[in-house]
Amino acid sequence: MNRADRDEIIEYASEIQAGYQVMIVKKPEKSLAMVKMREPVKESLFYIGEVIVTDAIVSIGGTTGRAVAMGDDFDKTVAMAIIDAACNYGCFQRENELYDLERKQQERIEKENTMFMKTMVNFNSMDSEAAE
Amino acid sequence: MAYVAVSGGEEAIEESIKLLKFYRSGTHKDIALEAIEKKLSLLVDKVMSEAGLYAPRYAALALKQCEGSTEEAVFLLRAYRSTLKRSYYTNVADTANMRIVRRISAAFKDIPGGQVLGATYDYTHRLMNFRLEKEKSRELHKKMKGKLEKQKATEVTPFARVSDELKKEGLLEVYAENNEKPYDVTENLLEFPASRSAKLQTLSRADTGFISGLAYSVLRGFGQVHPTVGELRTGYVELEVPYGDDCDESIYIGEILMTEAESINQAEDKDQLKLASGYGAVFGRNENKAIAMSVLDYELEKGGDYPPEDEEFVLMHGDCIEMNGFISHLKLPHYVTFQSKLDAVRKTRNKE
Repeated sequence: MNRADRDEIIEYASEIQAGYQVMIVKKPEKSLAMVKMREPVKESLFYIGEVIVTDAIVSIGGTTGRAVAMGDDFDKTVAMAIIDAACNYGCFQRENELYDLERKQQERIEKENTMFMKTMVNFNSMDSEAAE
Repeated sequence: MAYVAVSGGEEAIEESIKLLKFYRSGTHKDIALEAIEKKLSLLVDKVMSEAGLYAPRYAALALKQCEGSTEEAVFLLRAYRSTLKRSYYTNVADTANMRIVRRISAAFKDIPGGQVLGATYDYTHRLMNFRLEKEKSRELHKKMKGKLEKQKATEVTPFARVSDELKKEGLLEVYAENNEKPYDVTENLLEFPASRSAKLQTLSRADTGFISGLAYSVLRGFGQVHPTVGELRTGYVELEVPYGDDCDESIYIGEILMTEAESINQAEDKDQLKLASGYGAVFGRNENKAIAMSVLDYELEKGGDYPPEDEEFVLMHGDCIEMNGFISHLKLPHYVTFQSKLDAVRKTRNKE
């Protein structure tokens, strides 16, 4: 859902809202997340910097759904929380479509990867003795 | 002529601020934020890295607001960031398994997984391309999108670190995982001697020009003479934050682009020669900054008498906001202090 187009996610959430009462437990809010890293030299931890995140919590029939996503798209984050709540509550009918979305996203990433991997270097030794 | 302290100038200041809009109004054409974000992405990356805030769209907005000045854009992002609370700390970002878009080594020809050039200006002729004056961006976008769609999918596989091989051979020292909570220079004043985490955070946020210049001075002889880039990698790193009532679950929040560098140096260990490396990591695609950081990391760990080996010298003078703020303050009215200097000089002259 995080990588998906916002309109698609919001559409799924609207369908859920049409059939079920959605309570907002925590309004969408913009805040920061500090990124923790491990450096490979001495294997210690450090902070590289922060990212902006938006989070929200909703509930459907007493079952909660949560979302935290990078960026500041309040509507999409609430929609993600609604879908999460619906999945947890067992009332989301289009779960398979989410898997389709995931598959398409993965395919796009892998196609991009092909373009990057075309720049893989094949070295030829220029020293004839070494080649022998 | 008398020199006195003054107040006032409010109207002039207001008009001056309004005049900034005049400078942004030289053409009726607008720059879309999306265009800044996607087409000036190296500039956006630099601003995000120096601000210590990964927010491409906000960095684009900041650049638009201040006519493309990096220091002003960094200032705007830092100021905005200070208005937000911090709700999360991510789990340790797994950079070893980043989705690679570029990965090279200057130390070894053959590295596990291979060398991937990715997109680089390294091999371009630096000739002005005047065709871009009339570039049709819509056509370019469509063409590249079509090209991407025609590609066959290739499974993304992680690339082992080059330094792991050297560690296996016992040529680089192996350390146990250290899970000590990192020092956070955004919440605490830097103290000396600085912890490793404070050093790395400060270097990663530092002004690109400052640390590049210092690293250059190291290569010219003011430090270890010539480190070798063991590995330079750029890629997407997934971020997760702990979640749930007991923080026992994790939730994926998105991915960020970052560049990592490990530079390898020759070091002495008792009577034996060994290798030692320095590490650099920055937001976005900014490989010279990552390499410069790795050079300085090693110099600071090693210590010495040259300026790039001096913690206080390196860590206290490279912050974009601090350095530009201090230099900038020189142009603000110093009428009283200057008058006192003037008086002192005049008195000396009168005595003569």
